[in-house]
Amino acid sequence: MPLLIIARLTLFELVRRRVVGAVAALTAICVGLTGWAFYKLHEFSLAHSSAAAGGGEEAMANAMQVILLAHMFGMVLAVGGAFLAAPSIASDIESGIALAILPRPLRRRDVVLGRFLGLAVAIGAYVFITGALEFSVIHAITGYAPPHPAAALAYISSGAVVLLALGIAGSTRFSPIAVGIVCVALYGVAWIAQVADAVATAYHNGAIRTACTIVSLIVPTGGLWRGAIFSLEPTLMVAASAQLTVNPITVTSPPTHAYLIWTALWVAGMLVAAIASFERRDV
Amino acid sequence: MSVPRGEIFGFLGPNGAGKTTAIKLFLGLAHPTSGQASILGAPPSDLDMRRRVGYLPELFRFQDWLTAREVLELHCTLASVARARRRTAIDDVLELVGLRERGDDRVASYSKGMQQRLGLGVALVAEPEIVFLDEPTSALDPLGRREVRDVLRAVKSRGATVFLNSHLLSEVEQVCDRVAIIDRGRVVGGGDLADLLGRSTRVRIRLAEASPDAAAIAARFGRVEQIGALTLLVDGIADAKTPDLVRALAAAGARILAVAGETPTLEERFLNLLAEPDDAAADNR
Repeated sequence: MPLLIIARLTLFELVRRRVVGAVAALTAICVGLTGWAFYKLHEFSLAHSSAAAGGGEEAMANAMQVILLAHMFGMVLAVGGAFLAAPSIASDIESGIALAILPRPLRRRDVVLGRFLGLAVAIGAYVFITGALEFSVIHAITGYAPPHPAAALAYISSGAVVLLALGIAGSTRFSPIAVGIVCVALYGVAWIAQVADAVATAYHNGAIRTACTIVSLIVPTGGLWRGAIFSLEPTLMVAASAQLTVNPITVTSPPTHAYLIWTALWVAGMLVAAIASFERRDV
Repeated sequence: MSVPRGEIFGFLGPNGAGKTTAIKLFLGLAHPTSGQASILGAPPSDLDMRRRVGYLPELFRFQDWLTAREVLELHCTLASVARARRRTAIDDVLELVGLRERGDDRVASYSKGMQQRLGLGVALVAEPEIVFLDEPTSALDPLGRREVRDVLRAVKSRGATVFLNSHLLSEVEQVCDRVAIIDRGRVVGGGDLADLLGRSTRVRIRLAEASPDAAAIAARFGRVEQIGALTLLVDGIADAKTPDLVRALAAAGARILAVAGETPTLEERFLNLLAEPDDAAADNR
């Protein structure tokens, strides 16, 4: 099946171009550093925690550390997804690789969907392997485990997949650098909109909230980010977050089912647009 | 324009004439604004037809992180070559294009000429019924060009059609059965190569003394170039018309010293066709 051939070729390219090796090495360093940080935090907690506070104080500190880590991880993943997707079709057209492949008996949609599938599998695998490793290290050192780690990882990888779809659609028409910049900029706008939404909610500003809702529908990475954070928050933290006037770091509710369905439709729509754009293009 | 099966067909034209665009239209890589094409009896979008087609683009690159064998394996898979036959097909084509010893090397280490050889291998590995070659020898040395000519003849000998897009007219002259010459997107000439060259002879006439009417009479038979007072070069005259020209000159009192027929090269014929005004070119379409 041509789609699977292209997907497999995409994964093979990541291995051959040493993307996998480089990312694995960087991940090992990151997990080592964060493990060390959690160990120091745990050590400090053991030395200074009061009997009255018990382990609750440390659990909250660990939860906040994990959430901050997830912020960093989610951002790196999303930017990585955008930069993997941006050249996926465009560079094949520019270099002439597409000229050799496309006359073969395959549809252009096989190339678009194969590229998407290969990169989505790579990102998903990376998120779950790295996330599982990170959570295991934290649990082994501190005994803390976030409440819904698998759901959090699913939300994080979904955010990257959203940018992946956007990047591939752009890649059928525009240069890799233009697509990469647009994807990262939109991701930043979506993230800021989530923070602005929290502030607008605290100050009951309807106009800003509406604007933020529109942004989260146009670029649905922000809502997925909320889902990831919510999945990592212990019940105590959710309750504490609800008491804060302004709270841009933690969230009090996950995205709705309607929003998740919209996100799935958004990704599907972006892929349909990518296929239509690529099929109409002269190579 | 139609291309008979089992022949080597030369597709010629100046830079920007539309040669590469035409091939892209045939293979569905570009979309026509009007008109239609049929390859092996099927439209360019037909996937089954594309299983039976090979293509070497002019400006291309393969995945440089793959080895030549892996590139060929990829194209065998895409072209649905039976798994049991792939290894033999790849070995054979590597041998054919002279890359047997370098088959396991990454494409990134290949010279431009080697990449062109690999491109030819990719075009041929699935044993296509028709192969489109866009400037297949542009990066090759004379030895490589000769090898490619041999490859093209071998492809023809197994009954396949070769559509050769080239501006190297001497190459075309040596291997092609038929040609089409295009200019600004239109066919301005073509047909059987032997006929094309044979039917457009040139006659050089040397006069014993100057004749004021000779050039005007000769102009009725072809384009005339007067070289000095005593030599006329009549271009584009058919063999059968040469005696009539001589008779007409003699009747007008010209004293003819010598008449010599010359066959123009494909390059000369090519340049003449491109130099013809549009209405004359239209007669050749």
